[in-house]
Amino acid sequence: MSDEGLRLIAAALAVGLGAIGPGVGIGVIFSGALQAMGRNPEAEGTLRTYMFLGFALVEALFIFALVISLLIAFGIV
Amino acid sequence: MRNRILTVTGILLVLGIVLYIIGVRSTKLHISVAAEPVFCLGGVRATLETCASGFPITNSLITTVIVLIIFFIVILAGTRNMQLIPRGFQNTLEVLVEAFYNFAQGVDRKNVAKFFPFCASAFFFMLVSNITGLIPGVGSIGLCVPTAKEAAIVAPIADVTMAEEPDGTADFFASWPLACEKGTTLVPILRAPTADLNMTLAWALASVALIQFFGFQALGVGYLTKFFNFREGFMMALVGILELISEFVRIIAFAFRLFGNIFAGEVILVVMAFLFPYLLPAPFYAFELFVAFIQALIFAVLSLVFMSLATEAHGGHHGETSAH
Repeated sequence: MSDEGLRLIAAALAVGLGAIGPGVGIGVIFSGALQAMGRNPEAEGTLRTYMFLGFALVEALFIFALVISLLIAFGIV
Repeated sequence: MRNRILTVTGILLVLGIVLYIIGVRSTKLHISVAAEPVFCLGGVRATLETCASGFPITNSLITTVIVLIIFFIVILAGTRNMQLIPRGFQNTLEVLVEAFYNFAQGVDRKNVAKFFPFCASAFFFMLVSNITGLIPGVGSIGLCVPTAKEAAIVAPIADVTMAEEPDGTADFFASWPLACEKGTTLVPILRAPTADLNMTLAWALASVALIQFFGFQALGVGYLTKFFNFREGFMMALVGILELISEFVRIIAFAFRLFGNIFAGEVILVVMAFLFPYLLPAPFYAFELFVAFIQALIFAVLSLVFMSLATEAHGGHHGETSAH
C-alpha cells in the first residue's frame, strides 16, 4: 500500500474513531438535560446553559480528533 | 420580515448557482496550521511560515491589533461621559457585562468579583476574535508568496489542487483576482487571532497562572497540600500527584480546545466551500457562529470554575485553611 493511501486511512480512522466517544457523550448529555427539563420545567434556562457547556466540552474531544485527522491528511505530521 | 429573509436567501442561492455554473469557485485548497508572517519587520522571509531575519508580523497579530483597536474604540465611546443612570451605548455595554456577571455569579457567588475581570476579558476578547475569522475576506484576501521548492516538504503546508476541468472554464478563472499563480501560495492578510496556537496558549498560560495565584491567595502555603499530601496515606499522595499533572494538562486542554475548534471550523468551511460552493457552507457557517460564542464562553467559565475550585480548601479538614 502506498504512503498516501496509508495516510488517508489513518486520517479517516482518526476522525471516525474519535467521533464514537463524543457521540455517546453528547447523547448522554442531551438525554440527561431533556429528562431534567421534563421533570423540572422551571429550571430549563439554567439547564440549557449547562447543557451547552457540556456539549461544547465533549465536542472539543471530537475537534481534537478532527484536527489530528486534518494534520495527517494534509501531510503536516 | 420573514418573506424578505426568504427572498434574500433565494436571490443569494440563485446567484451562487449561476456563479458556480460559470466556474467562479475555489480550485485550490490551502490550509496552514501556523499563522504565516505577512511581512518581516526589518528582515526577509525564509519560507512561507518563517522569517529568515527580523520580527515576523503574522496575519494573526495584525487581526489581534485590529480587535484590540475595536475594543478601545468601543469602550472609550461607551464610557466617555458615564452616567449613574446609563443611556444609549453605555447601557448596551452594561447590559452585556451585567449579563455575564450574573452568569458568573451562578458559578461562584463569593469570589465572583475577584475572578470576573480576567474571565470577562477572555470572554469578550475571544468572542470578537472568533467572529473575525468568519467575516468574509478574512483568510481569503492576501498576498501571493512564492513557495520555496525544498521548503514545501518540511514546512507544515498543504496544497490540494483539484483536477482541472476538462473544458476551459477552470483555466479561464485561474486568472481570477483571488487566485494565485502557480508556484505561489496565498498568505492571508487577516486570520482569526484564536486560530493561532500562540494566542490560545498565551491565554491558557495566563489562566492557569491566575488559578494558582488565586489558590495561594486564598489558602496560603496550604494550597500546596492539594498536590503534595503525604499525611493521609499512599492513595492521597498519589491523588495529589495526579492533581499536579492535571494542572499542566489544563494548559494544553485550554489551548487546544479553543485553537482546535476555531481552526477546525475554518477548515470545515474551506473544505465545504471547495466541495460544493455557495450552498453547503451556509449551515456550517451558522454552526461556526454558535461555536465561536460557545467556545469563548467555555474558556471563561472553565477558568472561573477552576479558580473557584482552587480557592476552596481541599478536603475541608486542614486546620486553619478551611474556610467553613
